[in-house]
Order: sequence, then C-alpha cells, then structure tokens
Amino acid sequence: MTTATLTKPPRPADAPSARRSRWTGIRRVLTRKPGRIIGLSILVFFVLMGTFGPMVYGDQLAIDPDAIYQSPSAEHWLGTDFAGSDVLQATVVGSRYVLLTCSLAALFASTIGTTVGLLAGFHRGLSDSALMRVTDFVLTVPGLPLLVVLTTMWKFDSPLEMGFVLGVVGWGGIARAVRSQALSLRERGFLEAARGLGLPSRHIIVRELLPNIAPYVAMHLLLSVIGFVEAQVGLFFLGIVPFTSTNWGVMINQAVFSGGALQSPEAIFYLLAPLTCILLLIMGVVLFLDAIDELFNPRLRER
Amino acid sequence: MVRFKHFVAASAALATLGTLAACAPDSGAKNGANGGGVFTTVDANNPITPGAPMNPYSPNGNTFLSYNSMRLGFEKKNPMDANDAFPGLAKSWEIKGDTLVAHMQPDAKWSDGKPVTVEDIKMSMAIALTQGTASVGSGQLSEGLNVASVTAVGKHDIEFKQAAGTNNANFAKQILGQSIVPKSVYGHLVPADIWDTIAASQQVDAAQAKAAQAAVDKLNETGKAIAAFAPKKDVSAGPFVVKRVNPGSAILVRNKYFYDLGKIAPSQVVIRHYSGNEQIWGFMKNGDLDAAPFTAIPTNVLNQILAKGYKRADGTSYVNASIAFNQSKAPYDKKEVRQALAYILDREAITKVGQPVGGMASTAPAGMIRKSTEQWLGADEVGKLNPYAHDEAKATELLKGAGLKQKGGKWYLANGKQWKITLQTVNGFSDWIAASTVVANELTAFGIETKPALSADFGAYQTDMAAEKFDVGWWLTAVGADPRQNFQRLYGESDGFVANGDKVTHTEKKGDGNWMHGDETFTVDGQSINPGQLTASLAGLDTEAKKPVITQLVKATNQEVPVIPMWDYTNVKFTYDKNFTNWPKNGQDAILANQPGVWMMQGYIQAKGK
Repeated sequence: MTTATLTKPPRPADAPSARRSRWTGIRRVLTRKPGRIIGLSILVFFVLMGTFGPMVYGDQLAIDPDAIYQSPSAEHWLGTDFAGSDVLQATVVGSRYVLLTCSLAALFASTIGTTVGLLAGFHRGLSDSALMRVTDFVLTVPGLPLLVVLTTMWKFDSPLEMGFVLGVVGWGGIARAVRSQALSLRERGFLEAARGLGLPSRHIIVRELLPNIAPYVAMHLLLSVIGFVEAQVGLFFLGIVPFTSTNWGVMINQAVFSGGALQSPEAIFYLLAPLTCILLLIMGVVLFLDAIDELFNPRLRER
Repeated sequence: MVRFKHFVAASAALATLGTLAACAPDSGAKNGANGGGVFTTVDANNPITPGAPMNPYSPNGNTFLSYNSMRLGFEKKNPMDANDAFPGLAKSWEIKGDTLVAHMQPDAKWSDGKPVTVEDIKMSMAIALTQGTASVGSGQLSEGLNVASVTAVGKHDIEFKQAAGTNNANFAKQILGQSIVPKSVYGHLVPADIWDTIAASQQVDAAQAKAAQAAVDKLNETGKAIAAFAPKKDVSAGPFVVKRVNPGSAILVRNKYFYDLGKIAPSQVVIRHYSGNEQIWGFMKNGDLDAAPFTAIPTNVLNQILAKGYKRADGTSYVNASIAFNQSKAPYDKKEVRQALAYILDREAITKVGQPVGGMASTAPAGMIRKSTEQWLGADEVGKLNPYAHDEAKATELLKGAGLKQKGGKWYLANGKQWKITLQTVNGFSDWIAASTVVANELTAFGIETKPALSADFGAYQTDMAAEKFDVGWWLTAVGADPRQNFQRLYGESDGFVANGDKVTHTEKKGDGNWMHGDETFTVDGQSINPGQLTASLAGLDTEAKKPVITQLVKATNQEVPVIPMWDYTNVKFTYDKNFTNWPKNGQDAILANQPGVWMMQGYIQAKGK
C-alpha cells in the first residue's frame, strides 16, 4: 500500500507510455463489470444535464394555466405541473442546483474533514484531542434540525451557500475516518524515513500522507454526495428554503401537497420525475463507487 | 416462560381491543332517537390537540364551535348588517340605541341538566374581557367588546349596555359572538369584583389612566388563569358534548338537555384530526366525512371527490388574496408603480393556477370582495372603477412616467439599480405558493426579475411583515362581511392608523405596527380624504350613512392600489349524501358561513330516510 512518493520520478520519455497504461488500466477496471459503465454513464448524463440543460431550456419555465397537470404527450414528454409548465424542462433545469450543491457540499466536507483528520492523526497529543472534541461536537449536532433553524436567517439563494452549510455540518465522519488512517500510516516505514530525513511536517502531511489516503477520501467524497442530495432535496421538500418551481425537492412538495399526486394519477409524473432522477443519481454514484474502489485498491484488481 | 408469553399475548390483544374501542364511535350510536347515526367531519379551525383542555379560551382547546361550544347567536356574515345572526342561546334580540336586549332560549340547559342562567351569561361576558380584549378607556372605543353591564330584565331576558361614550354600531355582533360557559365550572376562576375591575378599565378620565391600566393588567392576569384551566369534563349548552378526545379524533355525543333536541339528527359527532389538506382530501376520497370545510384543492383531486359522490355547495367567502407592498420602499412608494404592477399581472391566469377551485379572479382593486362592492356601490359606480385589465403597454407608460428605465428588456430603478422583487409567501399556503410562480413568471417576462420566497409559517410571516422585512408579500384583505373590517386591513393599524372613539391618529414610527406606510391623506375626485378617519367613522354609522363613506374608500383604494387583489375566495363546502340528507345548497351564504352544528340547529342535516 505504500506509494513511491519518495522514489525517483519517472523519466519524461516514459511519461506517454505510463499515461497510456494508466488509461488502459482505468478502461479495464471500468469494463470489468457492466454496472460500472452504467454508473459512469448515469453520472456523465447528469453532469451534461446540469451543465447544458439550463442553456438549452432557459431558466424561465413557460406557464400555461389552461394545461395544468396534463398527461405525458408529444409536446410534454413528462406531462405538465401545477402551472402548466413542462415537467421535463423543470427536471432538467432543476438538476443544476442539486448537482452543484451536493458537489460543493461534498468538496467542503472532504476538505475540512481531511484537513482536520490529517492534522489530528499526524500530530496526536493535544492538537489531536482538541480537534477530535470539535469533531465530536460536529458529529453530535443534529444536521437537519440545525439547517432548518439556519433557514430562518439564511436564504440559501445559491448552491454555493447551501453547499457550504451542508459541508460545514457534514465533515465530522470523514475527519474521524481520515484520522484513523493517518494514525495507522504515520507508523509506516516511509513516514518514519521522512521524519528521519528531517522533512517539515507540512511536507510530510501534504506530500507523503495525503497521497496515501487520497483514494479513501475520494470514495468518501462520492459517498457523501448521496447524503447531501438527500439532505438538500429534503430541505426543499419541507418547504423551508427559497421556493423555485424547478427544484427537485420543491417539485416533490408541490406534487404531494398541492397536486394531490398521492391521491390522483394526474400529477403522478410530476412526482415521479424528480424522484426517479434522485434514485438514478444515487444509483450512478453507488455503481461507479465499485470502480473507484478497484482503481485505488490494486489488490482488488488481482482477483 | 410459556405462561409469560401467553400473558403478554393476552395483554397485547386486550390493549389492541382497547385502542380500537377508543378510536371507534360508540356502539349503539347507529340509530339515535332522531334516526341519525354518526356524523363525521373535520373542524377547519381546530384540529384535535390531544391533552389540550376542553376550554374555549385555551388556544388549542378541544371545544368545537356549534357542537359543544355555544354562543348567543351565530353571525350570518351579512355585509349590509353586521349584527344579523342566527339564534343560538339567545332566541331573539332587540337593539335599542346603546343597549341590546337578548331573549334567551327558555329551555336552554347545560349537559349536566342545570339551566343556563343570566349569571352564566354575565360571567361569560366578563371572561371575554379578560382574554386580551380589555383596553384603557374602552368606553371610547368604537369597536371591540365594550360591554359595561349585564342585567336580568325578565325571566329569560338580559340587557347588555355599552360603556359610556361608546358608539359601536356592531355592539350586538360583539355580544352575540362570545363563548358562553357555565358558572358552575368557571365561576371559581373569576374574582367576585370583576365588574368593578371592568368599570375601572373603562374609565375615560385621563386622571384615572393609571388605575385603568392597572385594571386592564388585572383582567389580563385573570384571563391567563382561565385560558390555562382544564375542566375535568365537558359541560356544554350546545347540541353535543365531548365524550372523549383521542389523538386521531374527538367523539361528541348528543346533549340530551339541548333546548332544540328534536332538530338534531346525529347521535354522535366524530371530529377527525388532520395535519394537512391532503389528509382531508384522503378522508373524502374514502367517503369518510359527511361534511367537509373548505380546503385549497387541485382540480384533479376535486374531480375524484365529486366522483365519489360528494356535492359542493358554494357560498360567499369574505376574504381575498392580495399582494401588498411596503409603500415606504422605492419604487412602491409611487402609486403609478403599484398601478403598473396591477396592469402587468393577469389575475385570471394567476387564479387558475393558485385557486382553481375556491377562487374567482378579482375584477378591480376596491378593498372589498366583488359581491360586497356591488351591494354597497351599485352596478353604475362599480362600472366606473378601473379594472386594471392586463395591459403591458399601459404598465410601461406608467413606469416610465414614474422615472423607471427599461434597458435590454430589464427594468431599472431611478437610482440605476436593476429592479428585482422578492415575493414573500408562506410555507403550507399552497395556493399562494402556486400563484407566486405565475406572478414571478409574468413579472420576469415583463423585465422585472421576481423570485418567490417562503416564510416558515404564518406566525413568523406576520411578525416579519410587521417588522418590515418584506417589500412585497401576500396578504389577506377584505376580511369579513363588515366593510369597516375590510378597510381596516388597508387603513388600520398596519397602515399607521389608530382609532380611539372618533379620534384617529396616524403614526409612521417604526415598531408601531405600520408596515404598509400608505399616505395619511389622498386626493380622490378633487377632495382630500383621510382613509383611516373614514374607516373608523363606519363603526358608528347606519347602513344608509355608510354608503357614501364606503364609496369614497373604494374609489381611494382603486386609485391608490395599496394592494393588488388576486382572487376572492369561494366558501366551498362538501357534503356527502350517504348517511344524512337535507344539506345547505349553493348560494345560501349565511348558513354556509357557519359550521354544521349551526346547520343542524337550523333544521338541516336529517337522517336519510327519516
């Protein structure tokens, strides 16, 4: 599991072949099981949807009060919503906020959690105790109720704000896990050698320790995306954050509480469209995680 | 061990049976003396609160108006006569100047068999004044409950006198609308000298102001103790009495001492708990409710409910949904801007989305619902009002005239900033939320970037609105059948006007409740008017004298557009002809404005086949 970070860098002449063999390895890992390709395809699909969807459709949904809760048709593939707007358009446009928010939240949580975990695990002693008590505090704070309270003061207009808050309350788990990894790694020979060479702590943490736990962090980052998708859609579903008819959580809320989707089949597509997207997104992450696991864990490749 | 298991199983079975028994209506309730069975409904104003006291003064009390909570009369919501009411514990009444004489139902009894006495009524009026309605110098108030004395003037006749100096044309409405509770249950909570305290609180002499305030404080303290009181059992003078309250429903049985028992068909009333509209829709889809109140409902669900066999009866609802402005904030301080917004918004389209079942698009800003405006002004005057029909060219002209600029399809304020609107609405108000989407869409398409925003609940919304946190938000206007109430929503405390008798003051001070910040005076038809003064004056005028004042206020509202009304609500009630028949019909506004308990007292709701 030790890496070659202290070994000599490869010669430039070897670089293209090394890169080629890395891509070959990735391709081999991805194609080993069809589920991995499906997972990746789903994720790519959503990234394209979030990136280009709003450009194609535009943010402003067209309304038609004479076509409320219409069934799917050639004009409206997924039917229409409470204002006669196209459900497919709302779903596509709404994907950007969801994807950006959960990506940013995962990034914030991973960055804070990894930093805290590495520092605590590497330094041990007083800083470990202090950082872990802070981590315990973050872990014990009930995330969703806290967010509900925060919404009374903060409007969460942009994905950055929402992602930041979700990330700030969601880094506790990864900090604890990274600390455990760091505690284990710091006793390994290559780190003892680095310390023996008198390299500064910053260098050891960033250049020696971090690359070794990066696969673990990457996996955690992807996993946390699932939690953040559910958390932010849940907040919108509860109706406590700014209302926008293209948000998936708001769509579910409107379908259930205003459209009677659980009472009447007319609004069912309006409910199912965002729900299916959430399900697919989570499925994509889970399937792709399998590939990530193997990519970062060479022992799995040998099976 | 085996024996223990049997014991646990037997206990569980017994507990289950007990729970089922507690949730189910009583056996034998199927055929009452009048042929009725169980009448199931929900109380729109009062979901069940397990553990809450059976006390009408408790904020979440398990008392249900017209079933086990009685009044002297039940308001008919007649816009031309605020004092018009159906009889309750009072069989009839006469208004003589500042006095009301009520003739009580001679056979009125409490559910414990004791007669309803003058002492009960007198104490109930005193209690009403402990519930935050007393105020210093209330003798001068031209509105509110300003009763000074309650006296027996015959075996079943009671005289209520207004406080000295009061000129309240709606005095009867106030008296008739108070809860009546038994002295045998609440008497020990009411101090013997309470009427002296009330008299002290009503002192209008400035020298006595301190003593009056002390009296008001004393009344409010008594009121708190009364509101917290939990009677051991329900004692009702209504047609029903609470037997028990389960978490999911309240079971009420017929009060065998009710004065008009022959009219009451159901032997039991089950009032179901609900936490959201969709639960009420579900109850109706299953055919569980005999009658249901108005709830915001989408057309697709309505069709399913009607397919189940429910009938809808539409009555007039004296309230409309409007968009209000903080007129101290630019650009809403200019009436041309508010008028322009009225021209931009297509109220028909907004109503179709927001309130497709229970709403009628507003025709013109008037401060009252369409029906009231027509009744008071007549068709000719109503025809002269500006309807602000959808006209974007007119809106553009008005905005440009107000100094706003249009660049690249967007509108900019006079200071060069882009005009953006945050339209505040309330979580759970599905009609406002849905309509906000259309409003935002129409304004954004016109070049005014608009986003809806939600407040967590209505309480927080009202607080934040009063604290001037919103520039633009939804607001209920034209509330109530009485025009004075309607205009008070626009030219009352929230607009800085405070009325005390004939004296009306206007405040612009922050924290004084003025968040609308309309002008103190307007010029209408070349004449300067003070809308707060005119509104307050309505309290002391008779019907004919009110007409010119109301006309002035309607014209002022139509010109100034302090709010843009979107739709008048419709009072849609649902009835199910499964167990009972003879329901109120479409257009019977007065009876439909009341709860089914009043319908029963009026002879409606009879057992099927009787």
